[in-house]
Amino acid sequence: MMSDLFIAYRPLIDLFLLHSGFALGQYIVLRAGVFSVANAGLTAIGAYLSAWLTLRAGVHPALSVIAGTAAGTLVALLLSWPLARLRGVYQAIATLAFVQVVLSLNVYSERFTGGAMGMNGIPKVVSTGTLFISLLVTLYIIWAISRTRLGRAFDAIRQDEMVAASLGASVRYYQSVAFAISGAIAGYFGAMEAFNTYTIEPQRFGFDFLVAALTYVVFGGRRSIWGPVVGAAVLIALPELARPLAEYRTLVYGLIMIVVMAHLPRGVFDTFVEYLHRRRMARMDRAAIAKGDNA
Amino acid sequence: MSTLVLDRVSKRFGGVIAADNVSMQVPSGRITGLIGPNGAGKTTIVNLITGMMELTAGAIKLDDRDLSTTSPHEVSRAGLARTFQNIRLFKEAPVIDNVMGGFHRHEKCSLVSSLFALPSARAETRQIREKAGALLEKFGMTRYASYPAGSLAYGHQRRVEMMRALASGPSVLLLDEPVAGMNDVEAGELGGIFRELANGGMAVLLIEHNMRFVTKLCEHVYVLDGGRLIAEGPPKQVTSDPAVIAAYLGA
Amino acid sequence: MILQQILNGLIVGGVYALFAIGFTLVFGIHQILNLAHGAVFMTGAFVALYSVQAGWPLWLGFLLAMLASGLLSVLIEVGAFRKLRKSGFAELEFGAIITSIGASLAIMTIAQKISNTQIMRFPFETMPVVIYEFFGLRVSALQLVMAACAAVLVVILTWYLYRTAFGRQVRAVAGNERAATLVGVNPNFVFFQTFFMSGALAGAAGVLVGLAFNSIHFVMGEPYLLRGFVVVILGGLGSIPGALLAGLVLGMIQTMTVAFLPSGLTDTIIFSLLFIILLIRPHGLLGKPEAGAMRGR
Repeated sequence: MMSDLFIAYRPLIDLFLLHSGFALGQYIVLRAGVFSVANAGLTAIGAYLSAWLTLRAGVHPALSVIAGTAAGTLVALLLSWPLARLRGVYQAIATLAFVQVVLSLNVYSERFTGGAMGMNGIPKVVSTGTLFISLLVTLYIIWAISRTRLGRAFDAIRQDEMVAASLGASVRYYQSVAFAISGAIAGYFGAMEAFNTYTIEPQRFGFDFLVAALTYVVFGGRRSIWGPVVGAAVLIALPELARPLAEYRTLVYGLIMIVVMAHLPRGVFDTFVEYLHRRRMARMDRAAIAKGDNA
Repeated sequence: MSTLVLDRVSKRFGGVIAADNVSMQVPSGRITGLIGPNGAGKTTIVNLITGMMELTAGAIKLDDRDLSTTSPHEVSRAGLARTFQNIRLFKEAPVIDNVMGGFHRHEKCSLVSSLFALPSARAETRQIREKAGALLEKFGMTRYASYPAGSLAYGHQRRVEMMRALASGPSVLLLDEPVAGMNDVEAGELGGIFRELANGGMAVLLIEHNMRFVTKLCEHVYVLDGGRLIAEGPPKQVTSDPAVIAAYLGA
Repeated sequence: MILQQILNGLIVGGVYALFAIGFTLVFGIHQILNLAHGAVFMTGAFVALYSVQAGWPLWLGFLLAMLASGLLSVLIEVGAFRKLRKSGFAELEFGAIITSIGASLAIMTIAQKISNTQIMRFPFETMPVVIYEFFGLRVSALQLVMAACAAVLVVILTWYLYRTAFGRQVRAVAGNERAATLVGVNPNFVFFQTFFMSGALAGAAGVLVGLAFNSIHFVMGEPYLLRGFVVVILGGLGSIPGALLAGLVLGMIQTMTVAFLPSGLTDTIIFSLLFIILLIRPHGLLGKPEAGAMRGR
């Protein structure tokens, strides 16, 4: 019974696991105060390179995945260097340009990428289990970052660059690190996508990809590490649960983005966590007052 | 024992001269004052010292180290901490996190150990949390540890900012109008803390608009007007200087 | 031959400018990057098409398209940005991008449902095909109309912004919304006007593009939005003369690359150009120098 359900929903579960990865790649740059949407392009690089290596050069898929991850990291690092000069919307536009360049090159260089038709017949070597473990490991790394020096620096820079610098944190260094981590996650999950879905084509890593990744993070929450995952889970499950919604999926996404951003700017999950925290604080206050401690 | 030295520092914006040949000494163990009417160029001097702006001419040194062209985070790493004129806390983060941020320059764990939360990185986080807790204790702020910093009363926010600056264990502390908006009692309390820090060997630079506070606290005062130093010396002598009186009345 | 390309480029560029001016106007005044601008553009084309299909004359369809797009743009302001404006600058900068993408998705989905995902065309002879020749250059009547519309609209906008009391109000709100309120300027009214004008211009551009390529579909705004970025950055984000100049320049670059370089590389070239401009001159040709880059040393 359970296994039937699992098989029926397997494609959906794979989709959720992959997209959670994409969402976390987007999340980590935002967390460090970099307004980059480059992940679509970095994911494309990971997907294409690993697929090409295995299909055309006969490289073992595991090595191809490593190469895709490394390529994502490297390109992200290279990007971070010039982007450090830019801020806010200018960063967003520059990274959008990067995504467009990658996309148009993928369409153009038919000999390597298969052009607009993409690459087909990629061996499906990545199973749901691999994806699940990959997501767990990614979550562990992001949790680790949050609990240690990197996370503190990212948070400081996101909230106030000038203060962070005055405390000795090099904005440029930490933002490059965030970029590289995000590139690694993007490249890795790009390779996962290639080896999970048989086929890749340029348009899959375009504007829609970018919007989806941003939506997961905004909807779920930009602070806690669970926000992006919850965002991906809800937004992927929603159209499946209510069939009429599926037809108007993009309309629903659009309205969600407006309503959540305007009314719950922290995202659904983070708002909930904060609500719990505030309740606990209020309880502690009451307890303190009851004890007669009015300091 | 450290001394911050400004050696004939100038800053021009196009044709406008914001700082003109300013020379100052901020030695350890002393509270040095920098005063001047609004628009005298105090903020420019702060920005030049902290590396937020580039010098047009002159040099800034901390002991033997030249800070003239160093970027803000390197200035901080060299041992200079600051507070901001209009308090700049991480408003939504808990007080304890704000203070922990101040320890950044002493964090040593490697990138890899942080990425995987290796024991060394976790131990460091624990130590910093303990040190921050001790600092909160010292300032009597322990019960606010997990409140969002932005939700505190004004005076308490000033304290949090002060703790964050002190957390880095600086040799020079730059205070940009630290008692703005405070009453005399609160200001006096903070003044006591500054005094203690200076006695402990820190070099304290107090930038203030409030002449009374400066006269009470500082051993040595520089007066800035129109981007130039117009007087320096012990507060008594400076406040009776006709040029200073003219500058303040004229403003 | 090359003169012919330049001429064609200028006319395409005029339409780019029309699209980008509204985009840059909203950013320059309100610091809002309205990513639903492409959807507004598409709406203009749709409204004109349906008006013509209903049997109304093209000029009426054109005016209705501008009106509808202007109102839609105002609706986006009220629905997607008004609440965000109350929060701080950083929140607005990020939030506006998200909410306007949301608005864009919603509008495009509705258009997709209305049009059944079809590519639609104006009825035959809506715009008669007439070719004139001047000094060996070929110009169609449609191209003349495009150039004339673009020029007239830009002149009207410039006059309105720089020669009327509105211009002062806009500058007041751009400087400081609260201070402007104190001296009696109603910021909501200023927002209403800028968004209306911005939308109306996009709608006009939509009709002209719809006529020029005679192909109207719900995603037609996306490439223009992406090219709009290139125009506004090249011109200097927020600068109206910059957008005009950059629109013409981009139009020419595009026709030149299509004519003289391997086909399929146009997008690569245009977006690489965008990236490079951002790196070497983020404030573009005519923007304010401090834009975009980080301060400090």
